[in-house]
Amino acid sequence: MALGAAALFMTSTSALAAGTVAGTDIINVAQATYDGPPGDPPVTIDSNTVTIKVDELLDVTVVSSDPGDVATSPGATAQVTTYQVTNTGNGSEAFTLSADTTKPGDEFDTTFEQIILDTNGNGIYDPGVDTIYTPGTNDPVLAPDESVTVFILSTIPAAASDGDRAEIELSAVANTGSGTPGDIFAGQGDGGGDAVVGSTGASDEDSGFFVIQSAEVTLVKSATILDPFGGTTAVPGSVISYQLVTTVAGSGSMTNLAISDDIPADTTYIAESITLEGAAQTDNAGDADAGSFDGSAIAVALGTVPGGQTRTITFQVIID
Amino acid sequence: MLKRLFVAMTLLLPGTAMAANNVSLSSDVFIERKVAKPNGTTAVVLEQPKTVIPGDNLVFVVKYKNVGSAPASDFSVTNPLPKAVAFNGTSDGTEIVSVDGGKTWGPLSVLTYPSANGEVRPALMTDVTHVKWKFSRSLSAGSEGKLVFRGTVK
Repeated sequence: MALGAAALFMTSTSALAAGTVAGTDIINVAQATYDGPPGDPPVTIDSNTVTIKVDELLDVTVVSSDPGDVATSPGATAQVTTYQVTNTGNGSEAFTLSADTTKPGDEFDTTFEQIILDTNGNGIYDPGVDTIYTPGTNDPVLAPDESVTVFILSTIPAAASDGDRAEIELSAVANTGSGTPGDIFAGQGDGGGDAVVGSTGASDEDSGFFVIQSAEVTLVKSATILDPFGGTTAVPGSVISYQLVTTVAGSGSMTNLAISDDIPADTTYIAESITLEGAAQTDNAGDADAGSFDGSAIAVALGTVPGGQTRTITFQVIID
Repeated sequence: MLKRLFVAMTLLLPGTAMAANNVSLSSDVFIERKVAKPNGTTAVVLEQPKTVIPGDNLVFVVKYKNVGSAPASDFSVTNPLPKAVAFNGTSDGTEIVSVDGGKTWGPLSVLTYPSANGEVRPALMTDVTHVKWKFSRSLSAGSEGKLVFRGTVK
């Protein structure tokens, strides 16, 4: 029957956020039914068919996908900011990407290295695996609603100061064209119709930020002497107690921070005398605690120490 | 191939059918376009588009006329909605609709729609697959009219 015929003409469409796929035909036919002559079945007639093609809407969004400022340090290379580029139009479209690492209004500019496409789609920059982007050569082609993760690699200037921020912007522009919403590129749409600039102007950009988190370590060493007679003279048999105070300053952290100190000449280390924050440490290097003694120097592995914190180490020697 | 033949024959039907009976039916689709006028106001004009984009508002006009000499009784007009069009109401509100491809019919307010998780919710305009007008009186010879409904390109 006529109803079935109309249905056969419809191009399949899927429910996308971006809307009906470009090139889809909208085909409309109405039917009327009424009683025929007595004894005959009801009559059904079709109207004329109206066919309208769905044009390509050019739309794109760029969103920074870093959870917040990316911590970095002066002089660091291959520092990554991450973005999501989504084709919010209804046709398959290629996009030209560009990075701006010298935005005004921030505290420092980075040196642009590369734009990288997340080829393996895991959202993480994998050196040697993900593809280096070259404009005009491997512009990402995205289906409607499809996204690609893009990384911008930067070199941080050595002169950047603790706490400074840098804005890094990624832009994406539809290759078919961009401009004012409603602008038409006749005949250039995916699927054979026109391409029409959508509400995003077929161009979008978003910024990620670096923040310098540097840290500095200062070490202060002091000694107190206790002689065998209860006084403070340095004579053979006097015990010297050394105190090493490690202070980390800045907004960053020190990682893998290790302190070592040679045992002075003409003294002998008193076994098992190392303490860290008042807690006794063993001399054995292979055990779980932080302290060790190798026969000529004591060492304490402090691990990661955040800015603003101190660690106090003590140990004792006896004057030969 | 068989299906194509079937379709071609069905499309010929209006011509052949009209010879045997007496109603003509035509369909037009218009797009609402906003046009800025010289005096700064915006006018909405209707155009017959060749192409549209998602979000465009369409106006469907179905015209009928009894071109015969006898009344047509039990007259109804049905318009299946193209898949890419979301129903957006009629001008007269006297229509009945289907949300299941034409199996069951009624005013939208009494229809329900099974959602993906198996729950049944009240049907929405966007669920509508067919719109239909049933005439309570027979269509007298020479009488004509038009039925209007609106849709949005998905």
